[in-house]
Amino acid sequence: MKRLMTRSLRATAVGALALVLVAACSGKSTQTESKGDVTLKINFWGDFGLTQLKPKYEASHPGIKIVLNSGEYNAQHEDLQKKLVAGSGAADIAAIDEGFIVQFRSQADKFVNLLDYGAGKYQDKYLGWKWKQSLSADGKTQIGLGTDVGGQAMCYRTDLFAAAGLPTDRDKVSALWKTWDDFIAVGKQYTAKTGKKFVDNATNVFNPVLAQQPVGFYDSSENLQMDGGPKIAFDASVNTIKAGLSANLASFSAGWDQGFVNGSFAVLACPAWMLGHIKDTAPGTSGKWDIAAIPGGGGNWGGSFLTVPKQGKHVKEAYDLLEWLIQPEQQIEIFKEVGNLPSQPALYKDPAILDFKNPFFNNAPVGQIFSGTAEGLQPQYLGKKAGPTRVAVENVLNQIQSGQVKPDDGWADAIKEADKAAKA
Amino acid sequence: MVSVTSLPEAPGTERPPARKRSWRHRLLRFDLHYTPYLLIAPFFLLFLVFGLFPTIFNGVVAFRNWRLDDPEHAGWAGWDNFAKLLSDSDFWNALYNTFGIFALSTIPQLFLAIVIASVLNRRLRAQTFFRVGALMPYITPVTASTLVFDVVFARDNGIANWVLQVLGYHPDTPLDWHATKLSSWIAIATMVNWKWTGYNALLYLSAMQSIPRDVYEAAALDGAGPWRTLWRITVPMIRPVVIFTVVLSTIGGLQLFTEPMLFEQNPQAATGGAGGQWQTIAQLIYKVGWKNLNLGYAAAMSWALFLIIVIIAAANALITNRLGGGRSK
Repeated sequence: MKRLMTRSLRATAVGALALVLVAACSGKSTQTESKGDVTLKINFWGDFGLTQLKPKYEASHPGIKIVLNSGEYNAQHEDLQKKLVAGSGAADIAAIDEGFIVQFRSQADKFVNLLDYGAGKYQDKYLGWKWKQSLSADGKTQIGLGTDVGGQAMCYRTDLFAAAGLPTDRDKVSALWKTWDDFIAVGKQYTAKTGKKFVDNATNVFNPVLAQQPVGFYDSSENLQMDGGPKIAFDASVNTIKAGLSANLASFSAGWDQGFVNGSFAVLACPAWMLGHIKDTAPGTSGKWDIAAIPGGGGNWGGSFLTVPKQGKHVKEAYDLLEWLIQPEQQIEIFKEVGNLPSQPALYKDPAILDFKNPFFNNAPVGQIFSGTAEGLQPQYLGKKAGPTRVAVENVLNQIQSGQVKPDDGWADAIKEADKAAKA
Repeated sequence: MVSVTSLPEAPGTERPPARKRSWRHRLLRFDLHYTPYLLIAPFFLLFLVFGLFPTIFNGVVAFRNWRLDDPEHAGWAGWDNFAKLLSDSDFWNALYNTFGIFALSTIPQLFLAIVIASVLNRRLRAQTFFRVGALMPYITPVTASTLVFDVVFARDNGIANWVLQVLGYHPDTPLDWHATKLSSWIAIATMVNWKWTGYNALLYLSAMQSIPRDVYEAAALDGAGPWRTLWRITVPMIRPVVIFTVVLSTIGGLQLFTEPMLFEQNPQAATGGAGGQWQTIAQLIYKVGWKNLNLGYAAAMSWALFLIIVIIAAANALITNRLGGGRSK
């Protein structure tokens, strides 16, 4: 009896194994597509405001199906990089952030050259620097078309400002901090009055100041230039730390998010895309935020591109969709939906953007504020290694804040670490 | 298991008469001779595809220049990647961190596991409850538990700091667990210990249950206390399992990745703290490969880690064998 059992067991096992093997081998072939039906997948992070646009495009383009795949910011970029190496599996349209665009631009051969499909006619519609950011080094391949730009402004808590005896009106607040030194002086007043911290983190002084410099970490021939812009930004940050203004909360960490709710800081450098994060993180602070001009004026932080990886099976259809998405009507709809500011300056004159007021931010005219900074921008070259270099210098600032490095030794450390990152 | 062990008896018991050699007989022969191989094949196939091939491919990449951000700069690199490793302060720092966290996690963990196992081996009320309870941390997804521990070890309003305060430790500013090497190592080692102590305890427990009772009775008659019995009888008698857990913990500890990665306030950086205080080798490999986009160098690091693990695991097994009084081979 036992013998019989084991035999039948064995037979079952072999059968099951055969089934598994057959199933494993046939995974691909069972996935048939009915002819003429094209599925286009778009990979992005956060909210690109595409949910409303998807059914619209599908209705006007029978036979096309759009799949929206929203993921985590870093994960999406890493995933795209891996798929490019593997040679298959990338989405039909992949969004790429400004922080990663140089990395992918130098692999331009893995993307469809949008100029081949006639994207050249949009060049004049875009902010000049935005168009250049996704252009390959030889200027012959355009890998992506811009969606939004960040711009720069300073978000502040009107209730906390009022409690500290500071003005709350956005024009008066803007007038308080023409320069970053003024900004630190205001911070000292706030901290002296309330005993609370003023900014979330010194790195969020470093980044906006650096974005305002004509040259960032790297010059256009990819040489690390620490003595120019980075030095100015670093000094401003160290002064902020020395004045005791920083709450030392790492951006996008859990503690940072709690900080929004608890009022651990009163100001935050905010590009257009940050507004959504504040609103989602601390819905209870609705109406308590307002937006003033950024000290020093201007600068850009972030913004994205839509690209078409070459390995896609429906490259032509993907380009058609991409072209449709960057048309003014769609860009304005995205702005209204999620607040992402278009990168085509002609749209800034559009009443839909010009007159838009955000109730969460005390009815601040966000369209006007951000488009103003984006238009007056000095384009800054972002080197291939700008991302890791930024992390390296931010880490030095974090070490100063946690007391592991003396403020006066910080700059020497920053040079050393940036150099290491540049050579990594 | 059953089918393999029952094989040898089969030919004698079920041989059919010679003239009736039919397809049925041939099927049986096939079953006897080849089925075992067929049954173990899936593992080896999977191992070939997901184990051996990547290891070898990785070895090849280790000798090449492969930068994602610089596709032109490709080709054979010879020993360059390995030479760079020797003078890379980041690598040595990561190695130091890895061993530090490894020591803080493995040693207390296995020690505690033996003690817990010996307690569970006694007659207890609600025995099953305690045994299952010991395994709970093991089945908790590591991401979930790490995120919870991240809150425990938070600088402001963290439970760990509250406990320290209750115990009478009152610093001027709350202890920033992320700031220094020692504090961050302790935090990460705590996460590892929490997860694996129960698992190892259950392994020890199952081994302990196969120790004959009369050995303990004899020891008790000779006046050995529970502590002495544990170290003089129990541990030597479960030596194979101890060696097994030591090797497994070594491999796991030296490959530590998720905990340090999620302990980071900005996982994007993968630097293991602002000054690399707790960056482990696995984390550094990830950073070099996918943040610095230097796949060749990352592959060389992976191979170096592989060799280090082999050496340390072998050494640990040897030492444990000796410690357990393992002269009698």
